[in-house]
Amino acid sequence: MEEKEFDLAEMEKETEEMLKINLLDEKKAKFTRTEGGFLSLKTEEKDYPRVLAVRMFPFTDPDRYISIRTTGEHSKEIGIIEDMKSLSKEVREIIEEQLSLRYFTPVITGINSIKDEYGYAYFDVMTDRGRCRFAIHMGGSDVVHLTETRIIITDIDENRFEIPDILQLTPAERKKLDLFL
Amino acid sequence: MEDINLVMMKPAEPKKEIRVPQAVKGVLAELGGEKEEILAFSSTDMNEKGEYADGYLVLTEKAMYVLKSEADKNAVHSFKGFLNRKDRDTEKERDWKCTRYPVEEIKKMTVEPQVACGILVVEFSDGIERTVAVFSNLYRKEVHVLARSFANTFEKREESEGEEKGEGKEKKGKERGGRGHGGPEGGNDDDIYCPICGMMYPKPERKICPRCMDRKSIFIRTFGYFKPYACKMVIMMLIYVAVAALNLVWPYLNGTVLYDHILEKNNDFLLSVGIKNGDFILALLLVILTMFAARLTLQILTIIQGVFTAHIVSYVVRDIKKDIFSSMGKLSISFFRNRQTGGLMTRVLRDADRVTGFFIDGFPYIFIHSFSLIATVVMMFSINWKMTLCALVLMPVAFVFMFFMRPKMWTAFGHRHRAERTLNSRVNDNLTGARVVKSFGQEAKEEERFVSVNKRLKDSEMSIVSVSNFLYFTFNFTHSVSSIVIWILGVYMILVNRSMTLGVLITFIGYVDQLNGPMNFASRVFRWWSDSMNAAQRMFEIIDAIPEIREDDEPLGMDKPRGEIELKNVTFGYEINRPVLKDLNLKIPAGSMLGIVGRSGAGKTTLVNLISRMYDPQEGSILIDGVDIKKLSFRDLRRNVAMVSQETYIFMGTVEENIAYANPAATKEEIIRAAKLASAHEFILRMPDGYNTIVGSSGRELSGGERQRISIARAILANPKILILDEATASVDTETERAIQAAINYLIKNRTTISIAHRLSTLRDADFLCVIDNGEITERGTHKELEALHGTYYKLMELQTKALALKE
Repeated sequence: MEEKEFDLAEMEKETEEMLKINLLDEKKAKFTRTEGGFLSLKTEEKDYPRVLAVRMFPFTDPDRYISIRTTGEHSKEIGIIEDMKSLSKEVREIIEEQLSLRYFTPVITGINSIKDEYGYAYFDVMTDRGRCRFAIHMGGSDVVHLTETRIIITDIDENRFEIPDILQLTPAERKKLDLFL
Repeated sequence: MEDINLVMMKPAEPKKEIRVPQAVKGVLAELGGEKEEILAFSSTDMNEKGEYADGYLVLTEKAMYVLKSEADKNAVHSFKGFLNRKDRDTEKERDWKCTRYPVEEIKKMTVEPQVACGILVVEFSDGIERTVAVFSNLYRKEVHVLARSFANTFEKREESEGEEKGEGKEKKGKERGGRGHGGPEGGNDDDIYCPICGMMYPKPERKICPRCMDRKSIFIRTFGYFKPYACKMVIMMLIYVAVAALNLVWPYLNGTVLYDHILEKNNDFLLSVGIKNGDFILALLLVILTMFAARLTLQILTIIQGVFTAHIVSYVVRDIKKDIFSSMGKLSISFFRNRQTGGLMTRVLRDADRVTGFFIDGFPYIFIHSFSLIATVVMMFSINWKMTLCALVLMPVAFVFMFFMRPKMWTAFGHRHRAERTLNSRVNDNLTGARVVKSFGQEAKEEERFVSVNKRLKDSEMSIVSVSNFLYFTFNFTHSVSSIVIWILGVYMILVNRSMTLGVLITFIGYVDQLNGPMNFASRVFRWWSDSMNAAQRMFEIIDAIPEIREDDEPLGMDKPRGEIELKNVTFGYEINRPVLKDLNLKIPAGSMLGIVGRSGAGKTTLVNLISRMYDPQEGSILIDGVDIKKLSFRDLRRNVAMVSQETYIFMGTVEENIAYANPAATKEEIIRAAKLASAHEFILRMPDGYNTIVGSSGRELSGGERQRISIARAILANPKILILDEATASVDTETERAIQAAINYLIKNRTTISIAHRLSTLRDADFLCVIDNGEITERGTHKELEALHGTYYKLMELQTKALALKE
């Protein structure tokens, strides 16, 4: 334990680092897939055996502004990928693999029935991952309108389901959803 | 290990056998693990590709088994609310692939929550981290229990063994049972499933199945509110019967008696009622008098009934509001954390009125209208059955319409409630944030947002009106058509057939008109019923809600508390898989002052919230004077633990009332003394009305520091044995803080004090301090000891003194 003296300069450097927006590209950052299936990163300065990829605007801009962060409790940002499209195909696939599980949200493609019973609504829907049946709480804000036509539904356990465009549903299905529109 | 578990576990919790599906047992046997004791078991439902696929995790004393199956696109995936006991118990016919990981090879097991699912990551002894299971939030808790079970049984063992060898510190982490069990709520318990449909309750602690709870029982429960007014209700019923009877007499007097007997000069009729032969003038007078009396009585009865109605309604609405409000008061803080204030206000204020609607405007009239409907129809049949049939033939059509409009109506009311709730929330939001709106000049945008929500409410009201208008129209149309048919038929019978007299026709038409009442009623009663039941359902949802923090059935009192606090292995998180406090151990001797420092979000406030029992820890216990606070009565606990939190709240009322909030019986002198101690006396006197100044939302605005000082005075007057100061002096200037500090020095005598502060100067007088970081106590000791450590505390101290020094 040598560094006992309080170093103001060090602190200021840290703060400055925090304020900087560090854009990552493949020249500066090398992404690889770990043996266990996670994401690792090698930058000019440092090796990160495992990093996290987090969307800054998961709803409005899922493919842009991806924050690459260290893991653990004091997760810190290493840098930002401004646009996934700017990455090579292989790297994009590795990162997208991480993102798809993190933001796992079945997309509702059809509605079989919605029943409103005593403070809960019971949904029976078709999704891109098969038929799902779940219940939501009516009292809270479990049905969120991201836009006029886009809806995110959160069930009792906080599982998420998405309807990207309610206009894609049939009129009969929309009618079932009527209570939440 | 096992023995320790058994001894230390609560006697009320016998060792539970962990039930495992037959298929799992089979797979385990194949791998030679059937003899191993199962420590934890969990289902999983996803794979790494993000598809739904069934799986199991089994943790035994020797290994962890991961069972996986292929994703089946055609399978129905049921989440909580739909998950059926049968589904869980029936064996899933799958092609199970099983991997065995011996526990020696597993270094660490962590549940990593994702946005809407979770993954179980295992770090193996070769240093490689792998995802071994993926699951939706449905099994979040179960997997979490399994991971903890692993940590408690295997990780902790090594740790404490190491400690024993080393410094011989106290063993920790052993009292927790190292076992977890299946079932998303952590149990194979059958009572989390509805006995009727077998589905799991949406909220397992609240044993109500929304699907099996029918609306009739809501109705009966609501009816219970009218019980205390049964006497008045009976009188009202009698009035209704009288009104119906009078209404029945009216067409007869008006038609048959007047036209057919008196105007036709029917002598026999006169004799039958005992009037002298030929005295038609007297008879006419009598009829008019009777008619007049009937009308008058009718009016008087209606007035009496109106008064009674108003009376009963006001009382019942009051009772219901009181019930909802007091139920809300009993609910734990967590209930309010995830609900909008505006929405809850709608429930207290509007729903109570709505509930009574049907019971007053609808329910009593059901009898009365059915009674008059039957009576009228009987009378009509006795006059002329053919014409009666003609009059009634269209009626069923109207009722069929009504039946089909039912779900539409129900939805419409639900819609309106949601719109209303949003509107209330929006107004609430806007008014609370008025300062921000103004300072950024966003009034126009706020108005726009308001207008759109307001329009939604209007639209929903309109849709209710349109549905009920449609019903009203149907009923009226049926009625009008029937009337016209009767007139035509009647006139035909009088003129052509001569089988009917004018008086009889007028009587008959009178009766057809009488049908109008019940018909109109039928068109509206359904609206009332929907509205009322819709609101009642929401009301009972609150009344039935079970608070998460419950008082012990036989609570212990605290007579003369010493104020010693002890935290034993406390683990707590607002969400199960995100612990805010981790395995915390802390002992605060009676009468001492503990200072807590740590960065924001470290869990400081959470810690003191647990001590005042706003939340219960998920694991471990908190003891005051050696008694678990869960066993203490709420009254004694709250009386002896007072908190001045960072969020100060000033209630509507005078300064005096606000200070005496926790102790209304306090004398003026005591209030003044408390205010002086909190350095509030001077600024209170600078206000023109002194201690009588009205403050709070409608009154005089106080500054942040002033509010804090009033809160401190409030806590001082409560005179608790344990005082918690959570950033209590953060908003006051340094000079005032010094003054308060002096007061606190005086205050902490004979009291246990916990003080949280960012400003270290606030903690000058603390007997000892601890640094909380990431839910763990990283440093503890006196000022001197911590300074010598050169750790976080030292860094903070240097920062604060150097930062000050630089400015000079």
